[in-house]
Amino acid sequence: MNTLTKDHKQETTEVSAQGKEEKTVTRVYSPNVDVLETEEAILFRVEMPGVDQSSVEISIEKDQLILEGKFVSLEETRGQVRLAEYREGNYFRKFTIGKAIHSEKATAKMKNGILELTIPKIEPKKTKIEIQK
Amino acid sequence: MLFRILDPQTKGNQFWRDFDRLNDELTRSILDHQFGSSSNFPPVNVYTKEEEALVTCLLPGLEPDQIEINVKDNLLSIHGRKKAEELAEGTEVHRREIFSGEFHRTLELPFRVDQEHVLAKFTNGILNIHLPRREEDKPKKVSITIG
Repeated sequence: MNTLTKDHKQETTEVSAQGKEEKTVTRVYSPNVDVLETEEAILFRVEMPGVDQSSVEISIEKDQLILEGKFVSLEETRGQVRLAEYREGNYFRKFTIGKAIHSEKATAKMKNGILELTIPKIEPKKTKIEIQK
Repeated sequence: MLFRILDPQTKGNQFWRDFDRLNDELTRSILDHQFGSSSNFPPVNVYTKEEEALVTCLLPGLEPDQIEINVKDNLLSIHGRKKAEELAEGTEVHRREIFSGEFHRTLELPFRVDQEHVLAKFTNGILNIHLPRREEDKPKKVSITIG
């Protein structure tokens, strides 16, 4: 069974207003993905619980698809931690698309922590060539 | 990704696409091994305060009416079924990583819960359950006079 606990840490250095270097460690999750293909399009379904639509970033450059999201918990005051099977962090997944696609016509929607991305395919032009006698 | 070599000249080659896929699979399996792949679905966090417990649970892709919550004394159970997406005819499946099926988790809380006032909300695929502590289970201060 796949879960959302596959992660690694990412260290970033930021310079504060006072000119001091501050290191922050962010957990980076590799979210579970379903990839489907129909005659017309390639579909990606990505598990991103805790991510608001506004913090999802999708970029397609040539054949590279990058999916990112920031997972921020809505609960503020939590008290004593008794059990912690997941933590906040960022989601990141990268794919190489091996088909000709209309990246500018891609559509995405977010519902109940699942990102659904649809990228229409470019159908190869068929040209019938007559053989000369 | 652990490593990545991409030559712009050969970027579109099937070989590099397969390499990318294998690289991704390898990275995920190494991370699984390193951090442990838990069979606990859904992942849960539990926090307690003097007056209540908060249980948060990752349930992406579910609708609130597909989740059943039961509380009895100090036991909380979360149950549901995540249906697999029905595929239209001719759909090709390249990857299937998202879990579907029945799940059931039971958690033991450190105090008995006031069942009448349990509050649950579901936002962005996260279930938050507020479980107030029963009045008789709340800690009481007893003043002892040393005489």
